[in-house]
Amino acid sequence: MTMDWIIIFSKAFWCGWAALGFGILFNVPPRTLFALWIGGAIGCFLKFTLLQMSVGVVFASFVGASAVGILSIPIAHFRHVPPMIFAIPSVIPLIPGVFAYRTMLGLIKLTGAIGTDYNSILSETVNNGAKTLFIIMSLAMGVAIPMHVMRKESAKNIRLIKKQ
Amino acid sequence: MEQNKITETKELGSLLLDVGVSLLSSGASCSRIRITMKRLATTYHYEAHISIAPKSISLTLNDEEDNVLFNGMRSTPSQGVNFKIISGISRLSWDAVEKKLSLQQVRNELNRLLSLPHYPRMIILLFVSLAGSAFCFSFGGKPPEMIIAFGATFCGLFIRQEAIKKKFNPYICVFFGSLVASLFAGAFIKAGLNINFEHAFATSVLFLIPGVPLINSFTDLIDGNILNGIVRGINALMFSMAIAFGLLIAMLIYNLN
Repeated sequence: MTMDWIIIFSKAFWCGWAALGFGILFNVPPRTLFALWIGGAIGCFLKFTLLQMSVGVVFASFVGASAVGILSIPIAHFRHVPPMIFAIPSVIPLIPGVFAYRTMLGLIKLTGAIGTDYNSILSETVNNGAKTLFIIMSLAMGVAIPMHVMRKESAKNIRLIKKQ
Repeated sequence: MEQNKITETKELGSLLLDVGVSLLSSGASCSRIRITMKRLATTYHYEAHISIAPKSISLTLNDEEDNVLFNGMRSTPSQGVNFKIISGISRLSWDAVEKKLSLQQVRNELNRLLSLPHYPRMIILLFVSLAGSAFCFSFGGKPPEMIIAFGATFCGLFIRQEAIKKKFNPYICVFFGSLVASLFAGAFIKAGLNINFEHAFATSVLFLIPGVPLINSFTDLIDGNILNGIVRGINALMFSMAIAFGLLIAMLIYNLN
């Protein structure tokens, strides 16, 4: 299996900038900006690597988002911010904009008259809609679950490496 | 009860409500609001009982013998995501625990946090537009489409900021942003440039996606704050519909299919 590493790395590079842009839109503290860039790039790197290994897009997005969610805990210690401040802008580049757009167009087409291609539009729309819904759910899960798995109320109480 | 105690209780109650509504209006999840308020109350030897509604917070403070000392409620000002306030308040609550800050010190620090400036407007516009073209690239766009996405995001965000300043309804602000961004992207397609219009259109409005309400909605649902989670989810849905509506109008204007 040949992997197109140049495309994967350049996509990860640009997704980092997307995460950073959304961080600025959400007014994050400047000390977290670099971490956001890294987070966005790692999430996208995992997603696009898995996609090239022909893993489904929902699971690939979930793995990317989980990596961001797990990373958010050490970064919360290191940069003194709540984990969500790192995690939310970093997963935004994983949002399935094109699928959402196709779903919306498909729904509008479904309001038209029933012609010969109505069935294919219907199945494409349902397919795109299901992908959008499940990817967004998996992003939210990936971000939220690591904090819950640790069963602590605050990232301050989580030690990834046990103190001797 | 002596006068000092009464003033202290009132001050703490009002401070906690201010902390709560600042967090709620800057986009914190319900469990974070509850934990932060309780942490502060415990530091000053009170027990806090909190109820968080979508746009207001009510608080009861008890002393350690379970006598009710304070009752209050506050509604939130306009909503807008501001992570600087969330991280500032999180740090402040830990400082209050560890350094035993006085109520006045906490109040001063909160006022300082609330008055902190946003990034300069030009920086926001440029970096969010860069994010727009980055999105375009990650969906398989080529440089010409990336430049169009940059321009469309810039114009759309500019119009949205102006609409927010003029105090339009938040959904209408998003609608204006989406309409202007897709009109900008559509103009190039209508001019007959040989570009993939799906990439240009779909990525020109992505800066408007309600990412924070979506993820907070899920976090609230999983924490058992079902009502708040549903409200935030519907809110995100309304924003998405406003985006779709703007995009649709632009496509009708240009007669694209």
